[in-house]
Amino acid sequence: MNSSEADTYYLSRQAREAEATLEQLQDDFPDNPQAMQYFYDLFHRVYGQGEIIKHSGKLVGTTCIHAPEELIYAFGATPVRLCNGSYHYDQIGADFMPAKSCSLVKATLGSLQAKAAVPNTQSLDLIVNPTTCDQKTKASAMMSAMGYKVEDLELPPAKESEEARLYWQRSVRRLATRLRELTGNKLTRKKLQHAMARTSRAQTAFRTLHQLRKSAPTILLGKDAFLVTNAYFFDDIERWTAAVEQLNNELLQRQQDGFQAAQKRAPRILFTGSPPIFPNLKLPILIETSGGVVVADETCSANRMLYDMTAVDEWRLNDMVDSLADRYLKPCTCPIFTRNDDRQRRLLQLATDFKVDGVVYQAFSGCQVYEMEYRSIADALAERGLPMLYVETDYSPDDMGQLSTRIEAFLESIKTRKRQAL
Amino acid sequence: MNYYAGIDIGSTAIKAALIDDEGKIVGTHIAPTGSSFHKNALDTFMNLLNQHGIERQAVKFITATGYGRKLFKEADDSISEITANAIGAYEAGKAFGGVRTIINIGGQDSKAIQIDVQGNVSNFAMNDKCAAGTGRFLDVAARNLEIDLEELGDYHFAGRNAPLTINSTCAVFAESEIIGLLAKGHGKQEIVSGIHYSIARRTVRLAKRVGIEDRVYFDGGPALNKGLVAAMQDELGRELVIPEHPQTTTAFGAAILARSLFLAESKEEA
Amino acid sequence: MKTIKTAINNIDLRRFRFWLQLFFFALLMYGGYFAIDLGSRLPTFACAFNEAGRGGICYLFPLQHQLGVPSSRLFSWAGLAVLQGLLIFSLWFFALNKAWCGYACPLGTIQDWITALRNRLGIRYSRYSQGQFRQLSRIKYLLLALMILIPLGVGAALLPHEMGTPFCDICPARMVLPMFTGDFSQLTIDFSSKTTMIMTTLGLLITGLFFTGAFFKKRFFCFFCPMSALHYLLSKPALLKLKKDGNKCTSCGDCYRVCDMEIREIADEVNETNIMQDDCIMCLKCVAHCPEPDALKATFAGIPIFSSTEQGFIKRMHKGQKHEQQ
Repeated sequence: MNSSEADTYYLSRQAREAEATLEQLQDDFPDNPQAMQYFYDLFHRVYGQGEIIKHSGKLVGTTCIHAPEELIYAFGATPVRLCNGSYHYDQIGADFMPAKSCSLVKATLGSLQAKAAVPNTQSLDLIVNPTTCDQKTKASAMMSAMGYKVEDLELPPAKESEEARLYWQRSVRRLATRLRELTGNKLTRKKLQHAMARTSRAQTAFRTLHQLRKSAPTILLGKDAFLVTNAYFFDDIERWTAAVEQLNNELLQRQQDGFQAAQKRAPRILFTGSPPIFPNLKLPILIETSGGVVVADETCSANRMLYDMTAVDEWRLNDMVDSLADRYLKPCTCPIFTRNDDRQRRLLQLATDFKVDGVVYQAFSGCQVYEMEYRSIADALAERGLPMLYVETDYSPDDMGQLSTRIEAFLESIKTRKRQAL
Repeated sequence: MNYYAGIDIGSTAIKAALIDDEGKIVGTHIAPTGSSFHKNALDTFMNLLNQHGIERQAVKFITATGYGRKLFKEADDSISEITANAIGAYEAGKAFGGVRTIINIGGQDSKAIQIDVQGNVSNFAMNDKCAAGTGRFLDVAARNLEIDLEELGDYHFAGRNAPLTINSTCAVFAESEIIGLLAKGHGKQEIVSGIHYSIARRTVRLAKRVGIEDRVYFDGGPALNKGLVAAMQDELGRELVIPEHPQTTTAFGAAILARSLFLAESKEEA
Repeated sequence: MKTIKTAINNIDLRRFRFWLQLFFFALLMYGGYFAIDLGSRLPTFACAFNEAGRGGICYLFPLQHQLGVPSSRLFSWAGLAVLQGLLIFSLWFFALNKAWCGYACPLGTIQDWITALRNRLGIRYSRYSQGQFRQLSRIKYLLLALMILIPLGVGAALLPHEMGTPFCDICPARMVLPMFTGDFSQLTIDFSSKTTMIMTTLGLLITGLFFTGAFFKKRFFCFFCPMSALHYLLSKPALLKLKKDGNKCTSCGDCYRVCDMEIREIADEVNETNIMQDDCIMCLKCVAHCPEPDALKATFAGIPIFSSTEQGFIKRMHKGQKHEQQ
């Protein structure tokens, strides 16, 4: 983006789209936590004004949470998650992608094609593309054709077997080699430890936030939680951690004061499926403006990105790298794998821990893996007596009327159920 | 005597229902939505009151439902048409021995709702993306065949040959298909019954997504079409429960809810 | 009560284990100097050959002797002694289950010290592949079987008398443990007969293997230990148990990563609640490194005494990082 483009960035369509969502996030809800102001301002500056976040070393874009960010940090580079949530870029992507493809991939490729997107993707030194779903896998060649340097991070399609685990460990090692070539730096124990310590602090801050959302009545709305985790995609990690820790302190105070962020009888919703990525937070916002509250989620733009923590037995380089590899593969509940027992268990445990009343399952049209899993998830939840609403949607703002009918009906049926259970 | 009203503001028609303290229907009224639905909704409501000589103050609670529910300021509360339809069908269905599945074909959408023994919505599915399984398809067909909507039922039973298969998945593309069939010399009756079966098949597919359990209640304007009902029963393999005024079930349900909410509020205040 | 529980769940397990292992090492290796005698039915290596310092004797020694008596005597009333020995062994065992291996066994402690040395030197450890693991895991049962059958064979006069204590002959503890009280006499080949020559040579080889193995693999010998096999066969009624709540498991595999014995089932098993496997030494490292609250726990007579907690996990990871950064 040149300087004249930067001056008028705020007039661009993607900026206006972002500002519209930010307005909704702040104005449609009363009593936003003070500490959230950091995040509102961050998105306003970066997505609304086109501000560039300073980064150190090479800038490495990632298209999936499977890419081990600690490794990227350890080589002195900075990771930035490229998964895009803008309808504007979705439409750009639609020019060259098949009609039935997933909005997320279209938007990501659209933003890469446009080369004027935030946060500053034009100067990407490398894109690490884990071979997850079909569309992301095929996107590799398309990104290369756009002129980016792409590293395919080979992910196995099943994660139970020892072969898969070893295959993935080798993939991660190969990534380390590639990063060394890119940055010219060597991977040392100290650097990796430092990187892992920073990420671990961020994960700890997230876990505290996560646990605080168990409160009944709710002390934080899901729309804010999603914004916080979405900020992790591109924000400076230490600044982000500090901001979250401040939010946690404020929430603790709220908890002690008995503060309610939503109505006492607001149905507690567990959100799962295709990730809500800023500015496409329409479904969580809709749930919360319709009287529900999203207390927990199982999506890769929030919970799955930051929840699992790495354990290392001996802090030797090979042990650390393998431990990282394991952490990025074993607990992952992404539907790209053959089985989904882990996902079912995780959802049921979240439902129990967070006293959830119902589950909203979002699937982007064209996301075959999420679409195919919905049946098994619905059955597993039904066995536990948990109602589930399956919503197929995309980035276009046209289906708000249809979505609101469904969401409201779902929330109404939960309220009725609760009323009768009393 | 207190009254409670339900207003169903749909995309083609506004339906209003009035019930009394005992939950019995006092009257209903239907009018086209037109382009200024707020005014038309208010007019429909007031017309209904005037028809039965009831004062506005006597109506203690109004619940709005349908696409226009949020913008009807006269209403005291709003509720999704799925919940309203379920409540209305549950109440009306008592006279038929109780219903568990509700199929609604509206002007521009269709829904299937599964309710439990207490009348709570346990599952639902909607088709609001495509007009092929909705009243719109019937409108298109009637227009192309140059017959009245009300005559569709008669045409269905008057055919001497099997219903034709309509291949188009889209109601708009089906127009050219219908014209083509007419040009080939096929009878209007067989075309009509073919359309009815096409809609019926689509709707049954939708209903299967929520699970079909007896009894099945069928409402919405198109339920007045006896030909469509016959096609539906054929595809479902079972009898349908058809209310006397199928267009107003949802408004009726909203009115029932209005009453419950008012009584609950009064109890809280007491 | 709650603060005690939290304090226990957050303890630095490494340090706790170090001190407890040292205590048992001193007790079993030098207890004799203080006239401590815990009997000869101990469910841990406490070598009889450490004549000066031993605080008790490992059960396998008297077991082999008992089984080696002439068959006619063995299968008569005198044979009740075997059952009595087994009973006392079992009672000792039930108290701590396989934690005898992880916290008390001097041979285990020595291996852990060797591991710590290797770690200090910055040398990496090696892991078994799944196939190797499965095959090697069976060897201990084979050794247990031989340990029982050979003395019986001696008692039936089918095998030479010198093979009466076949396992003791090849056990590395016989050679290693007495060294700690200055007794190096066991590090020899006994040339008195062909049998003893073979057995003691085998013993020296295995001791050599023990040291090299323990250097590159954590708890190398424990994979092959017949005591471990015997433990597992009797472990059902034991009081100390390792339990898992599969619903809380996120399959992160952290437990598997830190397990010295490379036991996969801790991570993979989500249906069973009792997840102690035959190789487990109940070091409880898995519990200490599980980030999911109450997913893994050690229970004594049903009462949880050490559970996985998020706080404990984070504390230990940070400590580990800081410790290594110095």
